[in-house]
Amino acid sequence: MASVQFNGIVKKFKDNLVLNGVDVDIKDHEFVVIVGPSGCGKTTLLRMLAGLEEITGGEILIDGLRVNELHPSKRQIAMVFQDYALYPHMTVEQNMSFALRLRKTDKAEIDARVGEAASILQLQPFLQRMPKQLSGGQRQRVAIGRAIVRKPKVFLFDEPLSNLDAKLREEMRVEIAKLYQRLNATIIYVTHDQVEAMTLAGRIVIMNKGIVQQVGSPIEVYRKPANLFVAGFIGSPTMNLLSGKLSLQGEDLFFSNGDIRISIPPYLLHDAKKHDGREVTVGVRPDDVLVGRTGEKCSDKVEGVLEVCELLGHRENLYIKAGNTRLLATVEAFFDRSPGAAVSLCFNYKNMHVFDKATEKRISE
Amino acid sequence: MEILRSIYEVAGFIVLIALGVGALEAYFYYHFRYYDRPWFFPVALAAFPIGALVAASAIAGSYEFSLWFYFLLAEALIAAAFRYVVKGRHTVPYLLLAPAFVGLALLLVYPFAFEVYLSFHDLKLNTIMMWKNTGRIPFAGLSQYVKVFTTSPLSEVTFWALLGRTLLWTFSNVFFHVLGGFALALLLNNAIRFKGAYRTLLVIPWAMPQVVAVLAMRGEFHSQNGFVNIAITKLLAAFPFLASLGVAPVQWLSDYPLLTCTIVNIWLGIPFMMVVILGGLQSISSSYYDAADIDGASYLQKLRFITVPLIKPVLMPAVTLGTVWTFNNINVIYLVTGQAGGTEQADILVSALYKAAFTYNRYSYSAAFAIVVFALLFFISVTYLHGFDAAKEER
Amino acid sequence: MLRKITRWFSATAEDASAVLRDPIQRAKFFKYLAIHVIIISTAALFVYPLLRIFSVSLRPGDKLFSTDLSLIPDGATFVAYASLLRDTMFLRWLWNSLLITLATSFIGVSLASTAAYAFSRFQFPGKKAGLILLLSSQMIPAGMLILPLFLMIMKLKLMNTYLGMIIAYSVSSLPFSIWILKGYYDTIPRSLEEAALVDGTSQVGAFWRIILPLSTPALSIAFLFNFTTAWNEYLVARVVLFSSQQYTWTLGLFELQGQYITQWGMFAAGSMLVTIPVLCVFLYSSKWLISGLTLGSVKG
Repeated sequence: MASVQFNGIVKKFKDNLVLNGVDVDIKDHEFVVIVGPSGCGKTTLLRMLAGLEEITGGEILIDGLRVNELHPSKRQIAMVFQDYALYPHMTVEQNMSFALRLRKTDKAEIDARVGEAASILQLQPFLQRMPKQLSGGQRQRVAIGRAIVRKPKVFLFDEPLSNLDAKLREEMRVEIAKLYQRLNATIIYVTHDQVEAMTLAGRIVIMNKGIVQQVGSPIEVYRKPANLFVAGFIGSPTMNLLSGKLSLQGEDLFFSNGDIRISIPPYLLHDAKKHDGREVTVGVRPDDVLVGRTGEKCSDKVEGVLEVCELLGHRENLYIKAGNTRLLATVEAFFDRSPGAAVSLCFNYKNMHVFDKATEKRISE
Repeated sequence: MEILRSIYEVAGFIVLIALGVGALEAYFYYHFRYYDRPWFFPVALAAFPIGALVAASAIAGSYEFSLWFYFLLAEALIAAAFRYVVKGRHTVPYLLLAPAFVGLALLLVYPFAFEVYLSFHDLKLNTIMMWKNTGRIPFAGLSQYVKVFTTSPLSEVTFWALLGRTLLWTFSNVFFHVLGGFALALLLNNAIRFKGAYRTLLVIPWAMPQVVAVLAMRGEFHSQNGFVNIAITKLLAAFPFLASLGVAPVQWLSDYPLLTCTIVNIWLGIPFMMVVILGGLQSISSSYYDAADIDGASYLQKLRFITVPLIKPVLMPAVTLGTVWTFNNINVIYLVTGQAGGTEQADILVSALYKAAFTYNRYSYSAAFAIVVFALLFFISVTYLHGFDAAKEER
Repeated sequence: MLRKITRWFSATAEDASAVLRDPIQRAKFFKYLAIHVIIISTAALFVYPLLRIFSVSLRPGDKLFSTDLSLIPDGATFVAYASLLRDTMFLRWLWNSLLITLATSFIGVSLASTAAYAFSRFQFPGKKAGLILLLSSQMIPAGMLILPLFLMIMKLKLMNTYLGMIIAYSVSSLPFSIWILKGYYDTIPRSLEEAALVDGTSQVGAFWRIILPLSTPALSIAFLFNFTTAWNEYLVARVVLFSSQQYTWTLGLFELQGQYITQWGMFAAGSMLVTIPVLCVFLYSSKWLISGLTLGSVKG
């Protein structure tokens, strides 16, 4: 198994800058998920690592070895493609053994490895079938099997679950997590689905517009998003973001946007004086909008009107309007109030985030 | 034994071609790979012209040293182009293309250029011996082109009459091909029994060797033994009143040759259009028709607002191709009206062109004629394809 | 078994009477009946000339010009076939045609397959110009290039040989084949080649091991197209070949048709013999033909 380093990776398509200086260090045995909206350059980054895309600038190291000019097959990587890319004219077995046959591995070894991969993925009954005779989930497993058989240093997954339906996607997600525990390999996994990122990753790399926004464990990026983009991208339902202005009244710092006025305690923003008059965006996850109750370390009351309730089962989404500000709160079911009712709510300071409006960077603790 | 010898001859030739392709690839590979080495120019200039000289003398069976100089010049130009322009980029696609395009250059572009050259000179039966002995043909400037528009390529019919006839021929053929093909495809696109068998029977005119098909059809238009006249005679015997309507057996081949050719060619061309349109129809999702049914569309409305617009992208290229093929169709005219001499009443541009060259031996004239026809055809297809692109944009 | 059949018949009979009573069903029934009638009569019209050749080929020598329209004539014989095979060089002509056609198709398809791959997968300067060249080559009037080709073959001293014919034919279907194959390659996802690259093939290896095997339908169409073009050609053959030893079947049949009036029977027999194999190949591949033709045009 191996480490992977991206050093100042730049990619240009004609005049279009797709990646602008990406630096990521991936350690041995790590499961790293690269996540971001479509067009953020995540797949390009993966394809550059695989050797399918030329590198405009910077260098990629696998196990400390520069691979920029190396042929894909010499990089000791295996890739699972979004559309699986199973060779339609070969059986499952031939698909899985293709790379080994190209390398002239001996027959017994090939059989052993294919057999092992097939048993891990429960593919034994299908070895002699053609890809088009398989269901989507089975094809997905063959694609993974093809990667396993090669015993690569690094596994690359390019949005592997995006072609499956919701139920199958959940199943395969668990399969991949189990597989990771079993193989204990370095895995780099690209997806646009933040749920996959949160559930699978050891570390998440969040990208937008060709720039790495934040690298960290799922908990870190959830609890302490480094900037506005990460705050809005990670977490479902999306975080409430309120833009307004900070002002100093006496010793205390207040946030206000015309509808809502709450104090910002010093443990969120030190050195209150420095922030007087600053334009900021405040972020609160729906879970941390407390409706009709107070917790400890909770903000001042905000009065609002309930617009719509969505029952999800054990939780309920409340769409609340405070003046012209819309807020989403997620509370435990059943919230016994009908639309139009007045509600009072407060924000949980423990999980409140303050971002500078101009730089979009996090300024709170 | 002779069979073995012929196999040997052809197989040997294929091996030779494979070797030639290999040599070509090696030649280009050298230029792509080593263009920036210091020894690139010396080696290229030393090796390749001599190699070409050896190959040329082997093929021609004679040896001419002056060729070496030309090869040297060419190699210098090519090597310089690779060094300063190509610079080793795009190696793979160019290597993949090289054999096909060298083949096209030798057997398509060069002959075409030669025809252009001929069209500005005067090569005909009187001057061909002079050309053979001295290698020179009198220069004619644009006079061949003037003659194309002022004199007849054959003995009577003029260029303009031929052009009108060709346009009429092309239009009526393509029109009936599409109409017939569309109708049959619509019928076949129903969930009916024996669909496969019907389709098989209906493509037979297209599948038969064209020579056989046309000659067979020609037989059917024979004034006494042909099916058409026999059928007319039998009809008249059964329903005598038809005679008063002017129905009577006709000398198809001598009195109505162009009409006969058109009927034969329509018969030949419908299956192709049918197959293309059927493919297009089958790719239309039935949900559009369901939606239209709910909206209360009648059969004709569905045809007009769903079927026709949706098969347009399939149909337009096929129609373009069909137009070019029909415009260019020498087989039917040539085979139906008799191969040499025969009537001029049915000649279209391309068949007149062929006869001008090979029956009347007016080579330069026919070259100029061919270039005019080519330009015409090019203009027509470009207009067509523009229409197609516009239709594509609309979608 | 027997019971099944009788039940099927009785069921349809019951259905039929039920169908005819219900007005909607009845309309449908007559609609389908009409469709069948129209198609069958058209098909008859389309197939008829072929049947007529067949019937002429079976006629005894003295009845060649009868106005008889029956399919199997009175006193049907295979005399025409026998004398065709015995008295003429028909088999030799077929063999000549076959050799020339196979060789040109092989060369044409090989060259087209790689060139089309370059057009489908790569961006390079001159791509558009190349495609325009291919397209405009379709507009060269028939017969225009015969004279220069004739002169070239004469210079190479290949008159009246297989090789001369193969050279003259080899690129004639190349542009169309490249178009068809390019259209087909365009539908093969690129990730297949990328997977092959990761698995350890070179770019050319990916083409050879993945793309070519997957393109068998399109390659067959290109082959068929090359084959039929060369198989049916006679304009070039007429100027290049001059000894009847070397004739292709088209020239041979012309000779039969031209020389004596009595050879109509042989002509018909020969026509049947060249038509049947081509027809079989064509019908066998017609499914691919449809998908290939529409694929190329839809995606092109």
